[in-house]
Amino acid sequence: MAQEVKYEPVAQIGGGAYGTVYKARDRVSGQFVALKSVRVQTNQDGLPLSTVREVALLKRLEQFDHPNVVKLMDVCATPRTDQETKVTLVFEHVDQDLKTYLEKAPAPGLPAHSIRDLMKQLVSGLAFLHSHRVVHRDLKPENILVTSKGQVKLADFGLARMYSCHMALTPVVVTLWYRSPEVLLQSTYATPVDIWSTGCIFAEMFRRKPLFCGESEADQLGKIFEVTGLPSEEEWPADVTLKRHNFSPRSPRPITDYVPEICDLGEDLLKKMLTFNPLKRISALNALEHSYLMED
Amino acid sequence: MAQTGFCDSKALLDLHKKERRVPLRTWANSCLPKERCPPAESMERWEMVPKAEQDSKWVRVPLSAEEGIILDYAQMNTTHADGPKEEAMLRCLHGLQDLRILVPSLLRHEMELAMDKLGLIYDRTYAWDIFSDMMRSQLRDTFPSADLPNPFTENTRAILVDWLIQVHEVFHFSEESLYLAVHLLNRCLRQIKVSVASLQLLGVVCLFVAGKKEECLLPEVSELCYLMENAYTKHQLLRMERRVLCGLKFNLSHCPPLHFLLLSASIARCSNKMVWMARYLLELSLLEGQCVMFLPVQLAGAALRLARLVLQEPSTPESEAAWCISSTIHVGSEATLLKIMQILAVAAARARTRETRATYIKFSTADTMCVSHHPALKGAPCLLGLTSMQT
Repeated sequence: MAQEVKYEPVAQIGGGAYGTVYKARDRVSGQFVALKSVRVQTNQDGLPLSTVREVALLKRLEQFDHPNVVKLMDVCATPRTDQETKVTLVFEHVDQDLKTYLEKAPAPGLPAHSIRDLMKQLVSGLAFLHSHRVVHRDLKPENILVTSKGQVKLADFGLARMYSCHMALTPVVVTLWYRSPEVLLQSTYATPVDIWSTGCIFAEMFRRKPLFCGESEADQLGKIFEVTGLPSEEEWPADVTLKRHNFSPRSPRPITDYVPEICDLGEDLLKKMLTFNPLKRISALNALEHSYLMED
Repeated sequence: MAQTGFCDSKALLDLHKKERRVPLRTWANSCLPKERCPPAESMERWEMVPKAEQDSKWVRVPLSAEEGIILDYAQMNTTHADGPKEEAMLRCLHGLQDLRILVPSLLRHEMELAMDKLGLIYDRTYAWDIFSDMMRSQLRDTFPSADLPNPFTENTRAILVDWLIQVHEVFHFSEESLYLAVHLLNRCLRQIKVSVASLQLLGVVCLFVAGKKEECLLPEVSELCYLMENAYTKHQLLRMERRVLCGLKFNLSHCPPLHFLLLSASIARCSNKMVWMARYLLELSLLEGQCVMFLPVQLAGAALRLARLVLQEPSTPESEAAWCISSTIHVGSEATLLKIMQILAVAAARARTRETRATYIKFSTADTMCVSHHPALKGAPCLLGLTSMQT
């Protein structure tokens, strides 16, 4: 309730099965904020344990004030009905996401040094989340904000987990294009999923269109294997329903066929990010030390 | 989700007591202005502790410089070297310059082992980062003053905490939950406006929220209400939960002093008995209103030192060396430590006869090596130069 008093809604900027996102203005300071509401089911045990932990984690990360993570300014829980509580998170508002940023870039696309700079910031934000045991899980150009000064800020982490726990029955349409093979195969997953998404986004910065545009889980995997080749039987996770023989054998194609503008070092990093086996995929901390990102 | 067999939980609560305590709620309603702080005399005594420290040292544990976490031996020696004895010692240490370089890396290594042993880390490479983060983030866990807003008194708080310690035991929550719950309570008392009538409800909600953060198994709301003799409805409890979470802005992170204690004790290779004694003394600090002004690492350091002093275990060169390495963790000025040790010593000496004795009873069992019954505790204040009059 307090939010409605303190902030004046300006426009709805997003929405989904889990709740809505508003751009709003602080009535006192005039500052713009993004209000994200998540509806959580409150049973007779009050606010779910997972929500309490997720929000507490966001608050904890906030204390580190990392430059590449969007600022969480306020949190509030208000009852909607007996069964439902609305958790509202107030974030700093950044006008532009990476998707718009790429669309707005003039004709030949972003210059190589801008891409490197964006990647550096993106990976350092990710290294921060991962070293605090946070997996973003839904990294995509829409969730990566770019300020007018070119500062990258990761957004919407934690939120993903908050609603996925309680929205099991609601078909949440989430884009498949940045999902890692282990997620698509419904195998176990951890921080490497974010690195896969980062690889896809890295390629997209050059291409200005997504790298793998699948229409279903299987189709998405097929599109991935067209580029990376079909992984060997040993690499295929054991505990999954989709079997390797469901896919036609393919050999890898040079990634430069898809991203011709990329330099050699960039190509090397991209390949290390788009490695099928999550255990062999480069970590965010190691990526920060990769020659491509170390160059000026 | 919830544990079963709670229908007789109130009986469980009273397990350790001979006589049944008046329900807290009834008590809370009738306790408005009664202030039972330690007598003024003893307060003066405590102030006799060298004033010069003024504690600028502990308020600001260096934020960014990692070196600030470790005591600098050389510097210490130069500032304190005034007698010929110290000078000789200093010359001797001078030849051991390597020691200065060696100690931090030894501590790092020991810290990795200790954190691993306590299951605080998944990956040893992050051990020192996590410890540095603990040292920094604990700065947010203290309060500038022990004063509570009206009408709450130190005594009100102590009785509530004592009751929470019993409830906590009934639910078999982890120690982390208890320290977190009391920390949340301390913050809520200062940040949220609650009436005396809902104080007990606030306490239970703090424990419930702490449980949500730390535990896998939670009691049902109705069980919590039952423990409060159904003085509040489930609806009231859940409304208080929202108030607490919003009031604290979901800031639930807390660096429990217990972690510092266990880490130091593990590095110092303390005996089981000493660890239990220190844990007992540390838990007593939850009841002492003044302790909210100290850093978790200081409370832990003081509890461990006092335990060592009380138990007087025979030392070996190995145990001395381990203690020295552990002591290089920067816990603040000697005067601050002494002040905390005095508070804890007085608390331990009168624990048996106090009204709030859940901790005393909890640590009197064989599982905890009966540390609260240790005969030397009665004389603990004397060991620190306080006369028994003040106990």
